[in-house]
Amino acid sequence: MVLLKLEKVTKRFGGLVAVDSVDLEIEEGEALGIVGPNGSGKTTIYNLISGVYIPDEGRIIFDGKDITRMPPHARTSLGLARTFQIPRPFGSATVRENVAIGAMFGKASMDVEDALKGADEYLKLIGIYNLRNKEAKLLTPLEKRFMELARALAMKPKILLLDEVMAGMHPSDIEKIIETLQKIRKEEHVAVVSMVEHLMHAITKFAERVVVMHQGKKLIEGETAKVLNDPRVIEVYLGKKVV
Amino acid sequence: MNIRAYKPLLPMIMVYGILITIGLTVEGMWQPVAYFMFYIALGQAFNIFLGLTGYVDFGYVAFLGLGAYGMGIAIQNFAHLGSISILIGIFLAIVMSVLLSLAVGAVALRLRGAYFAIATIGVNEGFRYLVEGVRLWGGTEGMILSGFMRKTFGRETTNLLSTFISDVLIILIGFCAAIVTISILNKKMGYALLALREDEDAAKVMGINVTKYKIMAFIASAGFAGLIGATAWTLKLTYIFPEDVFNIHYTVEAIVIVMLGGAGTLLGPMIGGLIYGLMKYYLSITFPGLQLLILAPILIAIVVAFPEGLVGYLRKKARDTRLSEYLR
Repeated sequence: MVLLKLEKVTKRFGGLVAVDSVDLEIEEGEALGIVGPNGSGKTTIYNLISGVYIPDEGRIIFDGKDITRMPPHARTSLGLARTFQIPRPFGSATVRENVAIGAMFGKASMDVEDALKGADEYLKLIGIYNLRNKEAKLLTPLEKRFMELARALAMKPKILLLDEVMAGMHPSDIEKIIETLQKIRKEEHVAVVSMVEHLMHAITKFAERVVVMHQGKKLIEGETAKVLNDPRVIEVYLGKKVV
Repeated sequence: MNIRAYKPLLPMIMVYGILITIGLTVEGMWQPVAYFMFYIALGQAFNIFLGLTGYVDFGYVAFLGLGAYGMGIAIQNFAHLGSISILIGIFLAIVMSVLLSLAVGAVALRLRGAYFAIATIGVNEGFRYLVEGVRLWGGTEGMILSGFMRKTFGRETTNLLSTFISDVLIILIGFCAAIVTISILNKKMGYALLALREDEDAAKVMGINVTKYKIMAFIASAGFAGLIGATAWTLKLTYIFPEDVFNIHYTVEAIVIVMLGGAGTLLGPMIGGLIYGLMKYYLSITFPGLQLLILAPILIAIVVAFPEGLVGYLRKKARDTRLSEYLR
């Protein structure tokens, strides 16, 4: 069943068309990769889905509801969760409190005590339980990214939008994260969308399907291995053959 | 309800107990104690908004001013009802300040940072010139209530009202504001406000209805401000002048108290209010006329040394110790 649907969505910033009439469908429990070079409109798509921006044209349907103009917090309680490319922790709160805030205000909608207890589980799952009492602003950028992932998972979303979450991680950590994500997908039927600029080997391991973005448009989509070897994709990244 | 989460009220009750005991037993100490209690209550009420949301409202004193007028109007117009007029005054003070907070909140809370601060200065100044300009509630001549009060309550009761009962009410108001603060901190709302204070846009995406929580904190803070104005000014002083009650000076004092003690903490406004009140009171006795000149560098030094306020600093030091349960 289709969980999230973008219909001819367009977003302009002045004269720049950041997202140009994009159609996109994401199935329940799917593992989708969105790749594309810098400035191709990936992050704008996330911002449109999560409600940071309202599209100039087109509609966004989530779980059968039109959420095109819904405020961000309302979308979140329907079952959206995302991470940020540059992590945005609630700095003076502890890591545990950060994750608990996810559990309180996401679709999980837990009360304070359950959320704090629940947070511990996710901290263990992601492997940062030892950092739980640290102020979030004191974490390294990488630790912050782990924390954002735990916070997003604690929200118990139906769809998880990851923004470069694996960039800069050690290959063994990437493997572990992918394993965790696959488990959550299978057990809780969560759709996971992972957006990357360069980390192709992680995408090939993780995604069943890939969408390639280029200059605000969908360049190509389909089975991961096939798409990434398509000459058009190679051209987008490396340029045309000159010799 | 989790009783343990309310432990930080214990040190607060202790300080209140000590201060009240000193005030009642030591000759001549009741007025200084009442003076400190005013600053504690002011800090405690303002902290619910400034401390918990991180928004600086430079027009905060307008809520105290409206509360003062609410009580004044009740005493003038319901004198025939006797002491019930004071209850009506308390009710009016809350209603008027809350209505203003709704009006201001609906417009100004869309702005952030310095823009919000500037917009709210306008509210206070605007109110003052409105009262003076259209001669509302006596205009610049204010409201002189001592005659009314003596007629309604008798000389004895009026004296008691202005020298003792109003102070007791202030203590109660400050304490109630503290209870509201800790229950907010312990509830989802506290975490929502923490998140919005740190990163409002991220908080929205995390599912937090930031507008709702900001307005709730604003209304609660304004309501307590109205009560403080009604008691500490109208009942205690028995007169109201617009240039006194709409004086930005009090807003600045409230900001200093909250920052000094620790914004967003429960005990911060009490510590901040006590230090500020003590220093201002005794400096004005020892160095009359120079108190602010001496006070300012001391305050700057404290804020530089403890950017998160005294309680904020202590909380950090006490993390992972048993003491941390009592510090919030």
